Amino acid sequence: MKEARLDFLRELANIGTGHATTALSQMLNGRLFQLVVPDAQMLPFTEAAEYMGGAEQVVVGIFIVISGDVKGHMAFLQPLESALVLLRLLTGIEQPELDELGRSALQELGNIMVTSYLNALSTMTNLLMVPSVPGLAIDMAGAVWESVLAGAQVTDEVTVIRTRFSADGEDIEGHILFLPDHEDFEKVARLFGLGEL
Amino acid sequence: MTEVFVNMGEISSSKNQGILTTVGLGSCVGVALYDPQVKVGVMGHIFLPQSRPNDPQAPPGKYADTGIPAMIEEAVRLGASRSRLHAKLAGGANLFPNLSMSSTSIGQQNINAVVEHLKKHGIPVVSQDVAGSHGRKMRFFVENGVVTVTAIGKDPVEI
Repeated sequence: MKEARLDFLRELANIGTGHATTALSQMLNGRLFQLVVPDAQMLPFTEAAEYMGGAEQVVVGIFIVISGDVKGHMAFLQPLESALVLLRLLTGIEQPELDELGRSALQELGNIMVTSYLNALSTMTNLLMVPSVPGLAIDMAGAVWESVLAGAQVTDEVTVIRTRFSADGEDIEGHILFLPDHEDFEKVARLFGLGEL
Repeated sequence: MTEVFVNMGEISSSKNQGILTTVGLGSCVGVALYDPQVKVGVMGHIFLPQSRPNDPQAPPGKYADTGIPAMIEEAVRLGASRSRLHAKLAGGANLFPNLSMSSTSIGQQNINAVVEHLKKHGIPVVSQDVAGSHGRKMRFFVENGVVTVTAIGKDPVEI
């Protein structure tokens, strides 16, 4: 059951990140490539922060609420260094510190990432998934993770999709959390021909 | 000095010495209970305000309603007196303030629940650094009851 669920999420992740990468790459004049097939892992929720390099590492987190036929939440988290590489590609400016403009550019990049991911799933399933305006937090990984998990009311395990990109010879790491409400997850699974997961 | 890291939903304790640390408090609330006379300290890292029937395996420290009584029991087990215990709080932030998912953020709900359950047990909150929209690291020095709170890019502040 757990394996079937993970396989299914990997499949969703492949479709979603494929589309998201294409959308981002278009913004960056084709300089962004997906490096590896996204890897889905199910983690006890207390370990999620450690998974990304420790609870104290600074991350950039985008968090949205999904409404429509499928309700839930979605998040995109990146180590700060990765986010700064993306920002440099987008603006051509090296930014050691984030100013307001940098923050809103990151918010927009994250927004493109999650909405194109959702659009891909929406098109495949014919289920409406409407993202909210994105929330942006740049803070300790632990603080961002627990706020995402509490916001989505995840209390046991969380499936994290890790994906890696390459741009201008540099590796960029990102973590996607697709957190549909339980009953809506089953709805999506059924449309993909899967039974009880 | 030994430093123990208290993860989400956990409760840790120490007597006379040691540091109890919680890294990355967002919407969670870190609670430091202390009896200064016998130098007993207990730290909790509360995730949500109220325990739920669909999560029966949850450790007591995950929710405020079960966590606060469990922390008090742990303090008493180590020789603390209920009447001497006081509490210091940190966390309960709202990292995504523009996503108003409900009128009261989860962080604020956590703070309210922790304060309510401490009050129910007659434990005063002597200092706190809560709410706002940033993450926090909380360190609790059991030898003297000092608690420091750090935000990213800032120096630790004693509360």
